[in-house]
Formats: sequence, structure tokens, C-alpha cells
Amino acid sequence: MAAANEPGPSRNNEEKEKEKDERMFECNICLDTARDAVVSLCGHLFCWPCLHQWLETRPNRQVCPVCKAAISKEKVIPLYGRGSTKQEDPRNKVPPRPPGQRSEPENNGGFPGFGFGDGGFHMSFGIGAFPFGFFTSTFNFGEPRPSAAPRGTPQFEEEQFVSKVFLWVAIMFVCWLLMA
Amino acid sequence: MANIAAQRIKREFKEVIKSEEVAKCAIKVELVNDNYTELKGEIAGPPETPYEGGTFVLEIKVPETYPFNPPKVRFITKIWHPNISSVTGAICLDILKDQWAAAMTLRTVLLSLQALLAAAEPDDPQDAVVAKQFKENQDMFKQTARHWTSIYAGGPHRNTEFDLKIRRLTDMGIEDHQARVALSSYNWDLERATEQLFS
Ligand SMILES: [Zn+2]
Ligand SMILES: [Zn+2]
Repeated sequence: MAAANEPGPSRNNEEKEKEKDERMFECNICLDTARDAVVSLCGHLFCWPCLHQWLETRPNRQVCPVCKAAISKEKVIPLYGRGSTKQEDPRNKVPPRPPGQRSEPENNGGFPGFGFGDGGFHMSFGIGAFPFGFFTSTFNFGEPRPSAAPRGTPQFEEEQFVSKVFLWVAIMFVCWLLMA
Repeated sequence: MANIAAQRIKREFKEVIKSEEVAKCAIKVELVNDNYTELKGEIAGPPETPYEGGTFVLEIKVPETYPFNPPKVRFITKIWHPNISSVTGAICLDILKDQWAAAMTLRTVLLSLQALLAAAEPDDPQDAVVAKQFKENQDMFKQTARHWTSIYAGGPHRNTEFDLKIRRLTDMGIEDHQARVALSSYNWDLERATEQLFS
């Protein structure tokens, strides 16, 4: 009978901690460090080839191998660590890991979603906001707002450009009013 | 054997022998061959059950498709339990069939079997005779299970009354185990057991 392998006194805590850290990233199926790692929505980590094989083995019962929550191939999140670009083991003829889904970050102040592609909307917004845009632009000339981006950064240039656009729109609007 | 199966068993084996349960002697695993395809498991009978004090040996066969399919496990030690065949040791336990999950390990299987000994499910029986007794005569079931534990698993509670009845049958040329099965199946009614054996 296999005698319980008692950890000797030579094994210090640091080694144990390291082992624990490594185990954190073990695939729940092969128990090795996860390669082509994916996480299920229930948060369990697997190698993609391992999870794929599990789902293939039981096509009628697609559950997480750990917590038995419902899972599907489409709903796993790939993990890209720093070392994940190196050559992967090609022996498994499994479909490529599903790609990560990327949603645009939330607006964080500044000019909401400013872009050249949808100028029409912003034009009308510019006209609607004309008095404020005009006056703030005017009053702030030569006296940068404390929140203004530092000179030389792309954001600074963008802000400059935007103020100019507003100014031009305002002037054209005034001309149009005068001519009408 | 597929590489992943052997690799995994190797890792599990290392882990299980370091586990708390092994330290407490509640479970045990040993290798039967060098290529990790067959192991021998052992579980201690849970306290406050008729299996208390007994040690139950299990045969564990690891399929090539492990861990995508469950290991094949059966009791080598004879046992009187509604979900375990008293003849073959075959086990009726969902996780060893359709409820298997690839993240389960030898350790969780052994612990589940131990839990099964503590909480039988007579409505999903493997051994119909035992399950019937379990439902209809709990006390008789417990005594019988305790008796089997003492005879086959090294349990501490000998039952002299049962021993005597078996002796009566063995004196008539019936094999010891056969006599025990017949008596167990007929709630230790010597007459009915004799009738069945000689019919
Ligand atoms: Zn894996
Ligand atoms: Zn899960």
C-alpha cells in the first residue's frame, strides 16, 4: 500500500506557496497547466482541447466538468496570458479556440464617441449646442481649462480640432442667419 | 493507453496519497500495474453505519478515455448494501455512469462511495433483495449488513446467532457463503433459507 508521502521538514513554505500558485492555473480536466486556456461562464479553467473533447464525449449533456452548470462551446472565454503566443501543440485536431468578444469601453467624459465617421449627428449636435459651444470656446481662448489635455498629446490636438470645428460651425450659422 | 489518462492518474495518485483522508486512513489507493490502468482502492466504513470498522477493497479500472469517461469501479469485498450487488460487487451510483464529470478524481470517487455507504438509495437499487429488506425491515438490514462487515471487511461485531444458523447449513454440506446469502435473503429465517437451498 502506498504510504502517505508526508512532506518532509525540508519543504519550506515558499515552495508550498509556489505549488499552490501553479495549481491555481491547472486545467480541471488534465490537471496540467492549462494550455490554450479557456474559462467557462461559471469561472472554471480548462485547456481548450480538453474541454472540447469533454463536450464531444457527451453531446447531449453539455455541463461544466466541475460544477455541472450548463456550458457551451460558444460561451467560453479564451485567456491570453503573456506567454500565450508561443507555438502551441498541434497534435489535437480540434477547432480553433473561439475568439474573445470585444465590446467597446463605456464613454468616459470628454467628447462622447467623437469620430469622423458619424459627423452628421455631431454636426447637428454642434448647432444645437451652438451658444454654449461658441461662448465656452470664446471665453476659454488663451486660457486652457484645468482639465484640458496636456499640449502635444493626441487628445490635446483632438480637442483643439474640435473647438475649431465648433467655432467654424458657429460662424457659418451666423452667416446663414444674416443671409436668410 | 491514451497519454492523458495515464498522465492524469499519475497526478491524481500523487495527490491522493498526500490527501487528508489518506492521513486519516479513510481512503487508500495503490497501483496494481505500472501503466496506471488498474488500481486498488480502499475505503473505511463510515462511522455510525453498519459498515463501521470495516475496510472495503475496490477494483478500479481506468479506461483509455479517462477522464472523459468514468473509471470502472466495483467492490471486491463482499458487502450487503442496496446499491451494491452482493454477488458481483457492481455499484449503482450515478457519478460512475451518466453523472460523471471530467473534473472528478479517484479521491472524489472514493469519497462518494464512502458517502453511498452512509446513505443508501433503495429506490435506485443494484441488489433488489437487499433493497427490499432495507425498505421493509431496517433493523434486519442493519444486522445483516453489520454481520457481512464483520465476516468480509474485518468489522468488530460478530453475531453469534447468525453464525450458529450458518453452521446449521454448512453442516448439511452447504458452502459457507452460499448459506450466508440464503439466510440474509430470507431475513435469517432458517427454514425458508433451507427450503430455498434444497429446492
Ligand atoms: Zn487540460
Ligand atoms: Zn463550472
